[in-house]
Order: sequence, then structure tokens, then C-alpha cells
Amino acid sequence: MRCVEAWSMVIPWVGIPLADVIRRLEPTSKARYVRFVTLFDPARMPGQRSRVLHWPYEEGLTMAEATHPLTLLAVGLYGEVLPNQNGAPLRLVVPWKYGFKGIKAIVRIEFVESMPDTTWNLAAPHEYGFYANVNPHVDHPRWSQARERRIGAGLFAEKQETLMFNGYAEQVAHLYDGLDLRRHF
Amino acid sequence: MTAWTSGATSDARSAPMTTISQIRYVWKPLVFAACLVPTATILAAAFGLAGDLGANPVEALQDHFGNWGLRFIVIALAVTPLRQLTGRNWLLRFRRMLGLFAFYYVFMHFLVWLLLDQSLRWSAIAEDIGERPFITLGFIALLLLVAMAATSTAALRRKLGRRWQQLHYSIYAVGILGVWHYWWQVKQDIREPLLYALLVALLLAYRLWRSRLKPAAVRGLQRLSRDMPPPAARTWPRRAEPAGQHHGPGNR
Repeated sequence: MRCVEAWSMVIPWVGIPLADVIRRLEPTSKARYVRFVTLFDPARMPGQRSRVLHWPYEEGLTMAEATHPLTLLAVGLYGEVLPNQNGAPLRLVVPWKYGFKGIKAIVRIEFVESMPDTTWNLAAPHEYGFYANVNPHVDHPRWSQARERRIGAGLFAEKQETLMFNGYAEQVAHLYDGLDLRRHF
Repeated sequence: MTAWTSGATSDARSAPMTTISQIRYVWKPLVFAACLVPTATILAAAFGLAGDLGANPVEALQDHFGNWGLRFIVIALAVTPLRQLTGRNWLLRFRRMLGLFAFYYVFMHFLVWLLLDQSLRWSAIAEDIGERPFITLGFIALLLLVAMAATSTAALRRKLGRRWQQLHYSIYAVGILGVWHYWWQVKQDIREPLLYALLVALLLAYRLWRSRLKPAAVRGLQRLSRDMPPPAARTWPRRAEPAGQHHGPGNR
């Protein structure tokens, strides 16, 4: 997982391809995007008591992204059930996108016709786009995205080069043929 | 207006000599040790003696030193208002030490960034300082703190006189730059930088408010000193200065 704040971590997720779930839900041909919403429960999720973001958290993918075999609905990590803070019981994992696309504690999945709102895009549209593909050539307005700190590499490890689409260019670059990734960041 | 030298003057009149040596030999070492506590806690965490640095140790070190740098900037800026509002002139004797600790923590913050975050990659460092405005601001604040720390000795203070004072007014700019630097790098939750912004704003607003009162007060004092015999402090063997020196620029 590559965070938009320029750190990354190799995480052995346990999950099922979102594509399998979508197939069972039989969306109509009108479905162009998938919209996800997090549980809103300030009593059990105290962070939601402060209005630092617009709650509940919401995210979205295009149908092509959502049905890509790399896109997971995760239920665990490191062979264990997903801990609450990591998004139990169900979270999204899109390995070629920045971590904030990985919406946690999902309680709603909808198929929609137009591009859904996403929480970070609502908070700072010039900094966080809908696509949020990992891209070392498009910097965050305030910091570089060219390199990343690998969590677990140790205090004295150097940052490493960030790879296009977080190293999954071969598998996913075709999803964005003809799209200006500088504009649609 | 004579430059403030060792702070012996206003204390000499407001506190007995025992208090002065008490400050020098008891309170100053204690405050010095207290100021090192944040260094001790982070070293203990780094060596696994008490807690740890978490998943991202470089960020943990950088945030820790940066936070304490900003806290000491606020503390150093608070000395003069507290002294003036409470009349506890001995507070001034801690100001340089607190300012130097602000420099020390900010410099450690910078060193962690330079050595651990950037690993001395000069191209990336130049790019960050030149093109990332929040890093540019932090770097300017660092340079000002270096200049103030380098001229912090009593001898240089005497030698530089007015220019020393002008240089050290830049602590006000450092307060603003420090908060701005912090504010600009948080992703969304601005509550903590907002707190520092309010504190710095309060401490600077106090000075603005006071400087508006000052001209009238100084004129009043000058009239008083014309009509009165020289103050007793003049005859003291220690480096004493004329009455009214506490309205000099050194104590703002």
C-alpha cells in the first residue's frame, strides 16, 4: 500500500476479488461507477465526533477499476481477521491507488451512473482527485511523490523510488488509455 | 539606551543577591534539565527503553523534535509578557536558555530531515527547499534561529548593540514562520497548528498593544528621572544600568 503521504508498506491482505461480489450483484448496463460508504457511528468510532472530514467517509471506483482482478474486498491481513482500526469487517484494497481510496468498515455498496463524491476530493479537490493513481510524476501540491519511505525498512534506510501505478503498470495502465493522468490525478 | 548585559540590573533592585545566585546555581540547572526531558523521552523510545518510535520511526523523530521546537519558540516568546504582567523580573534570566532550546529542537528536527528523511540526497534537498513552500518557510526560520543562537553570548550582545536587538526581533518572524510551516504540512486536521497559531498571535498582539502604550510611559519616566537624584543602582558594583532600562528594546 502506498500512502499519499509518501510512505508505503507491503501488506499480505486476506480478501476476495471485488469482481466476484459484483458479478453476483448483477448490476445493469447503466452502472458506470461503484460507490462505497463507511459506517457512521460516532459512539464506536470516536474520531467521527470531530468534523475534520465530511462523515461518513465515501469512496468510488469506475466499473472497470472495481472489476479488475487486483481490486480486493479485504477481511483480514497477515492471516488474521481484520482489526477494527484497519477497517473491519470489510475494507477496499486497490493496490495501484493511494491508500485513502481503501475505504474501511464498508456498510454500503451502490452502482451509480455518474462519478460519485469522494471524501478527500470534497475536502481538498486540488490535492486529491477521484482517480488517485500512484504516480511519481505528478506531485502532491505540497510534497513530492517521486519517492517513498518503506515502513519496516528501519531508521537508516533510504527512501525508494515510487513506481508508476505502485508497480502494477503492466496490469492496470490500459484502464487509463487516453486519459490525461496529470489532469485526472 | 544601554544594551542589556547579564540581567543583573533590574534583579539587583528587585531581588536580593541570594536569589540571583540561587537562580544561577539551582534554578537554571533545574530548568536546563527539564528542557532536556523531551530529548530523553525520545531517546528512550528510540532505544526501546520506554515505548518505541512506532511504525514510521523517521516521522516520529521528526514530528517530536519539530513539535518541541515550536513549543520552545512559544515558551521563549512568553517570557517577556509574563515578566511584565507579573513583575517577576527574574524570568528574564531564563529567556536566553529557552531560546537556545528552541534553536536546539528545531535544529534536531532539521537534522532528522536532512540525514534520515532525505539521506543527504542533495538534489532532493534543494528541490524541497526551493519548491515546497512549507519547507522553504521552515528553512528560513531555521536560518534566523541559527543567526540568533550564534550571537547569543553576552559579549556579542554588547558588541553588536542595536544591531543585536534588530536581529533578535526576528524571533517574532520565527514564531509566525514556525506555525505556518506546521499548518501548511498537515493533511486536514488543523486543530493543533491552530492552537499554536492562537498562542503566537496572542504573544505578538500583546507586544503590539504594549508598544502603543510605551511612548507615553517612556516620556513619563524620563520626566521623573530628570526631577529625581540618580538611582541607587548606579553605585552598585555589579554591571548596573540607569533606571528605565527595562523599557529598553532588550526587554520587549
